[in-house]
Amino acid sequence: MILPAVIYFLGASAALATLLMLFQRNPVKAAMLMLTVLLCTAGIYLALSAQLLAALQVILYAGAIMTLFIVAITVTPQAWRDRPAPGRLARVLGLAAAAAILAELLKVSAGIKALSTGPFSETGTLGIARELFGRSIFQFELLGLAILAAIVGAAALALKRRPLP
Amino acid sequence: MNAYPLAAISFLLFTLAAAGFLTCGSLVRMLMFLELMLNAANIALVALGPAQPQAQAYALMLFAVAAAEAGVGLALIIALAAAFKTLEAENIKELKG
Repeated sequence: MILPAVIYFLGASAALATLLMLFQRNPVKAAMLMLTVLLCTAGIYLALSAQLLAALQVILYAGAIMTLFIVAITVTPQAWRDRPAPGRLARVLGLAAAAAILAELLKVSAGIKALSTGPFSETGTLGIARELFGRSIFQFELLGLAILAAIVGAAALALKRRPLP
Repeated sequence: MNAYPLAAISFLLFTLAAAGFLTCGSLVRMLMFLELMLNAANIALVALGPAQPQAQAYALMLFAVAAAEAGVGLALIIALAAAFKTLEAENIKELKG
């Protein structure tokens, strides 16, 4: 079941939180605003009848990834000494580039104005598992390799270099 | 429901995150905005995917990619903070070493 009003409200809340993040100087408050965006996204998934994704969004994004960010902010005192954005010109150029991206995206997506979304029937874990272990098995296996590489890379970066004997 | 508002929500979130990524100077913040851009792409994938189980399966894979990216990115940031004693991107100019 789709609840358009709920989706619009959650989308607007997420956009507002992202906008506030842009002007928030305190990194922990910015992380909390990011948490708001992620929870609003989970709500959008729920409204789109993607219950598994909503649960994973809360567990993985709002749980695991946010914890990582908070730990990173805590262990790097440099993060607290954030200065305002580089220069006025850089800021204006960045905003102009973002506006150009939005304009281009909206122009490209004009073709889907007439389209309506497919039926958002509830997709259980069985359907997703069939997809993951059926047609998308190669991509799924490659993903395992990517995660292994990420773990090895993170461990290698975290290990302190000891001088050779 | 029309697909356009859903696409517009995702595009708006992506653009705001891109604006944040381009204008902020701190590495932690840049990684946060990068995650939000990936999140916006995920919304578009779920909302506009033609076949629902397939779109959700791909979104699930993107979750894993985002988690891996955050892990490596934050490990890099902590290593950079230890080496350069700063997290401002403009102060980190040397990659040699």
